[in-house]
Amino acid sequence: MKGIYIVGGYPHIDKFGECFKSVVKCGYDFIEVGIPFNDPVADGPVIASAINETIENGISVHDIIESLIEFRDVPIKKYIMTYSNIVYSYGIEKFSENLKSVIDGIIIADLPNRMRKLFYNEGFKIPIVPFATLETREKDIEIIMNSDSDFIYFVGIRGTTGAKADFTSAELIEKIKLLRKRTDKKIIIGFGVKTADDVKEAMDIGDGFVVGTEAVRRQKDIDEFESYIESLLEKISS
Amino acid sequence: MRPHNGFYGPFGGQFVAETLIPALDELEESFNSVRKKKKFIGEMKRYLHDFAGRPTPVYFAKNISEKYGINIYLKREDLLHTGAHKINNAIGQAILTKYMGKKRIIAETGAGQHGVAVATAAAMFGFDCTIYMGSIDAERQMPNVKKMKLLGTEVKLVDTGLKTLKDAVSAALKDWVFNVAHTHYLIGSAVGPHPFPEIVAYFQSVIGRESREYFESLGFLPDFVIACVGGGSNAIGMFHDFITSDVKLIGVEAGGTSLNPGENSATLAVGKKGIFQGTLSYLLQNENFQMEDVHSISAGLDYPGVGPQHAYLRDRGRAEYVHVFDNRALHAFKELTGLEGIIPALESSHALAFVIDNRDRFKGKNVLICLSGRGDKDFGIIEKVNLEDI
Repeated sequence: MKGIYIVGGYPHIDKFGECFKSVVKCGYDFIEVGIPFNDPVADGPVIASAINETIENGISVHDIIESLIEFRDVPIKKYIMTYSNIVYSYGIEKFSENLKSVIDGIIIADLPNRMRKLFYNEGFKIPIVPFATLETREKDIEIIMNSDSDFIYFVGIRGTTGAKADFTSAELIEKIKLLRKRTDKKIIIGFGVKTADDVKEAMDIGDGFVVGTEAVRRQKDIDEFESYIESLLEKISS
Repeated sequence: MRPHNGFYGPFGGQFVAETLIPALDELEESFNSVRKKKKFIGEMKRYLHDFAGRPTPVYFAKNISEKYGINIYLKREDLLHTGAHKINNAIGQAILTKYMGKKRIIAETGAGQHGVAVATAAAMFGFDCTIYMGSIDAERQMPNVKKMKLLGTEVKLVDTGLKTLKDAVSAALKDWVFNVAHTHYLIGSAVGPHPFPEIVAYFQSVIGRESREYFESLGFLPDFVIACVGGGSNAIGMFHDFITSDVKLIGVEAGGTSLNPGENSATLAVGKKGIFQGTLSYLLQNENFQMEDVHSISAGLDYPGVGPQHAYLRDRGRAEYVHVFDNRALHAFKELTGLEGIIPALESSHALAFVIDNRDRFKGKNVLICLSGRGDKDFGIIEKVNLEDI
């Protein structure tokens, strides 16, 4: 599963739409659309500044949801990536009602696995993608498996988006082995994937990857964006 | 008041990156194991007594009491080493860090009082220490920046967002994710993910406990207990031992220049429920679900969230939360300085201002106010206003 993350509405709705279509055109399996929150504690400087710029440009959460609804029938799996407050304050049930037929799942950066039930108890019906990290312990695996998401989001680094992962580290490979032993769910490597070589390594140890920071860095220039996301796939067979 | 599964009623929880969950579990386990251990309690008491200067007195402020016809008692946290209540929590969590075997401490600071307290504890216990501080706060609280550096702490100025306390907390959370294995995040207010609000309340509850003992020795309890609220650490510490009594509890937030969006930090007055920096509580946000700009003349109250225990006490009706505008806090600052020879922090001045400005309500009552810190750190701000006009 090959995926690209882009910031929703960045730098404005039209450009975002062009990038969205480009991800589909280049043959990716899924797209993650970030809905901006102005305290992005999981994001490094590149994505954080794109988020802040989007908000300053007056793009609202509603604008991004509207444009996702427009793309409902575009043939690609769609995920939202955002922060807890956006879903909570929009209205947990309302968010779910408006988007459950539009997106395939949601990644909420500051909603750890054990807090998911709070959202489900309030009527949230969209699959919330579970996280595995370098810190995941044996006892955390049950709550990871116990999920209606079709994949696990593996955070390959200790840090924020944009940092570099080491896919050859024993620690990382051990964690993935541990997950493999206990679950059939697909393992998608997020955080730290930047180059075609990274993509190849991530595909060797996991079932897929998502590239965020380096895609967002090019989101203002559709040509540069497209040639970059094409180049990422050069070293893997489709 | 203990949390249930990390929540106080509907408030609290752990809204952080998954990477931090094992660290929060470790912290909770360590805290629960040491809080009952004689050795830990003995060590904490010794440092609070010999190093920080506890217990602090409760002072009957005769002159200001006479002027306003109210019996005003001040809990003198301003007399502590480093000048504010923040040292109580800094020492407690520093000892906890030692027990956890971690070698590095990070913290956020707004007014710089917590930063100085942590830098002090780090110097004494021999930890590496990094403090995150918004660059605007650093400018308006320069003496504290200089103190932290003298104490051997690395001060990292935060230039994102509004460059104040919120942004310092975000930067500290990011550092923690990177360095979680050997670093403890010594949070300074009763905010953040569980178990931080509980830990901070526990270490600050000494304020209320000593106060209650003082009044019990006089044979009565105060009618009102009043404290300022930013995140809410001195207030929750002050309230803690009075929650089960009949004493009326009042938290005073910063009204800034007005209750219009962006001009105050009065989270409980005008905020809505939301999730921010690890906790579900009230917060100042706009109609696009983004954190609102905040303002207060006092850097220590300048925060768009509030601790989950306060949200809970408010919704349960156990405590009342009010707000005071910048210029009234300055007026109280001037009154206490001139009448009692005590220069209060601008944060604490908010608590006093509410009493002075509502003197009819408090006439003849026994009112205990938490004087959470001293005001020399605020000279940079005071110099810019003309106190004659206040």
